[in-house]
Amino acid sequence: MNLRALVLALACLLAPASAAAQGDARAAEVRIKAAFLYKFCDFVEWPTAAFAAPGDAFTVGVVGADALADELAAVVAQRSVHGRPVVVRKLMQGAPLAGLHLLFVGGRDGGRLPEALAAAKGRPTLTVTEAEDGGDPGSVINFVLVADKVRFDVALPPAEAGGLKISARLLAVARKVVAGSS
Amino acid sequence: MGEDRPGWKGRGGWRRTAAGAALLLVAALAQAQSQPRGDLADLSLEELSNIEVTSVSGRAEKLSSAAASIFVISGEDIRRSGATSLPEALRLAPNLQVARVDSARYALSARGFNGTVANKLLVLIDGRTVYTPLFSGVFWDAQDLMLEDVERIEVISGPGATLWGANAVNGVINVITRPTQATQGAQVGGGGGNLERGSAFRHGGALGADGHFRVYGMYFDRENTERADGSAVRDGWHKGQVGFRADWGGAGRGFTLQGDAYAGTLDQSQPGKTSIDGINLLGRWNQRLAGGSDLRLQAYWDRTEREIPGTFGEVLDIFDVEFQHGITPAAAHRVLWGGGYRHGRDRVRNSAALAFLPADKDLDWANVFVQDQIALGATLELTAGLKLESNDYTGWEHLPSLRLAWKPAADKLLWTALSRAVRAPSRLDRELFAPGSPPFTQLAGGPNFRSEISKVFEIGYRAQLSDALSYSITGFYHDHDHLRSLEPAPGGGFALGNLMEGTTQGIEAWGSYQMARSWRLSGGAVFLDQDLKRKPDSLDPTGPSALGNDPEYQWMLRSSHNLAPRQELDIMLRRVGGLPQPSVPAYLAVDLRYGWRARRDLEVSLTVQNLSDSSHPESGAAPARSELARGAFLKLRWTP
Repeated sequence: MNLRALVLALACLLAPASAAAQGDARAAEVRIKAAFLYKFCDFVEWPTAAFAAPGDAFTVGVVGADALADELAAVVAQRSVHGRPVVVRKLMQGAPLAGLHLLFVGGRDGGRLPEALAAAKGRPTLTVTEAEDGGDPGSVINFVLVADKVRFDVALPPAEAGGLKISARLLAVARKVVAGSS
Repeated sequence: MGEDRPGWKGRGGWRRTAAGAALLLVAALAQAQSQPRGDLADLSLEELSNIEVTSVSGRAEKLSSAAASIFVISGEDIRRSGATSLPEALRLAPNLQVARVDSARYALSARGFNGTVANKLLVLIDGRTVYTPLFSGVFWDAQDLMLEDVERIEVISGPGATLWGANAVNGVINVITRPTQATQGAQVGGGGGNLERGSAFRHGGALGADGHFRVYGMYFDRENTERADGSAVRDGWHKGQVGFRADWGGAGRGFTLQGDAYAGTLDQSQPGKTSIDGINLLGRWNQRLAGGSDLRLQAYWDRTEREIPGTFGEVLDIFDVEFQHGITPAAAHRVLWGGGYRHGRDRVRNSAALAFLPADKDLDWANVFVQDQIALGATLELTAGLKLESNDYTGWEHLPSLRLAWKPAADKLLWTALSRAVRAPSRLDRELFAPGSPPFTQLAGGPNFRSEISKVFEIGYRAQLSDALSYSITGFYHDHDHLRSLEPAPGGGFALGNLMEGTTQGIEAWGSYQMARSWRLSGGAVFLDQDLKRKPDSLDPTGPSALGNDPEYQWMLRSSHNLAPRQELDIMLRRVGGLPQPSVPAYLAVDLRYGWRARRDLEVSLTVQNLSDSSHPESGAAPARSELARGAFLKLRWTP
């Protein structure tokens, strides 16, 4: 086998492997983010008014991240948040956001963020995004990848506007915290 | 399963810790990909923050398939155990034998040869080797850290000599602390009970654009133990320790600087008090080079001082520098190579009772190693490695190993390994004399002491049967030669020689079962059969019992139960078989911890050790030995 053929053969051998590895990494990222979303709820207090009745479900809306929605649904299937059952809804862009306690907007481009988040502004909805690092996504929590790890930043002003209380422990783990008024 | 995250750390200082990064990745990746959903969601925020999501090199993947008997203690396991010291936390590893001798001393080994001067285990804390060249073992009273900052402890039973070097004959313990990014903010903890009191604080913050740091301090005092007749053993002690760590950079390039300092005072049966002091400083740099290779460099200085009035005094400085380079020269090969140099400056104060001669000694070690992981197909991998290591006493030693891993599916691994491990002479083997001045009627050194050799065969299987159930089982056979013996010296008295030999064989197994979302059961057991004997020409008066005092079996069972969202109940049962010589009865210890998160930022826990008996001995000869009493410890931890 000459050198060229060898290189070609190696390339053929390697290509599927690296693609698979990337796929695995992306799947891992989705799973970790889903786990985070569930964990966040333990460290956030919603105002009583956010729930119409004591037994009401805790409702999560997911926009533009179906895989994550499926993953999260699996995570919360046997779990509760603040003693409430959890419902995960896949939402279309522009769907009404009333009654949502947590809203995740997927995608890194940030193009649809302003619209999705504007509708949640002032509501008791914990907004979570995965926007490009460096900008101001306008959400309460934004996932960022740091050194191949899923980290997150927290912005307190939108949380305060919605009457959400975020525990110090969550803030301690956050990469960055944008302080609020108080 | 939570504690059996496969991971394989590189050897040596930063090899080890360097490998730490790779390892972390491996373990984390393996965890992210193969763990059931529940497990990810059950991790803490901090743990989630530390999972790496991209497989940057095949090496990581390989590491997850580590062909070795490896058990991982997670930081969460440690927290839930209520352990207050490093050796107590190590009881969580089913493949270690941990026997507490008294208030401060432990006998700790894997696969036998246990005793307070056990010498076949290599212990690393963040890449720093903490065994002393004085006797090739660990002074456990000197080695501690803030357990809240421990990310994981990898416990490998069996030889790891090719990567880690001489002394990694029967096992390697790799303590890895959390990166400082994960320990931001403040934490204050404190507690007390009938046997000990302690407190600790830590504070972490940012350091420039891409750096983080933490500082910590801790203090404890521990009570005397008592003998079976109720009389006090003079072994109470207290110790304070401070330290820091700073990390800069990210995946492609990083730098870590860390250090610790401690001072402790121990009561002793003779007049006066033993004092221990130490300080260490370590720097580690890693860089991903063009072409995808990884380079790591680590250097540290480690000073330990010990003053035992009337017996012995020592000031030991270790300077260690190591590098490691990981390359992929061809598609099917992943090569890790490196080298290191270590210098020891030992200054001993001798006494009338014993002497190390010469009292002052400079020691040098050098090593080079290479390891190739060769993919033999989609499911088969061969790892061949060789380390050459030199020491002052026996020159160059060779430490080869061959490991084969077959992974028919992502959740199954069958592996086997052949290794040759060496325990090179320590100062104790060559230079210990008793009494402290001639004529040395008891012990006249070991002028001809050579390296002990172990040839080891291992075979293991581990599998994840379902989301809830996983297990690991390993069989091992060690063929030892030139083990230490005591032989009549030409000038009268005795000298250390190498006329003992024999085999050690056994089985290690553990598993974990998630009974329900909030309840996990895990357990493990070791069966050990030792067949050690004098060689025909040996005149050793004691026989193989001097080599160690080991149980034929031990098992443990742990239950981790979340009683309610903020309440945890952990129960651990440990059964350890009787020790032969000196005779120590078998015992069953029941430890219990109840934890309650009273507020978001406040955790209260009560730990009771030895719930099942008022006291029992774990080591030593009656009637002088210490018994370990029932202990209760109430702890508060505040994370503002």
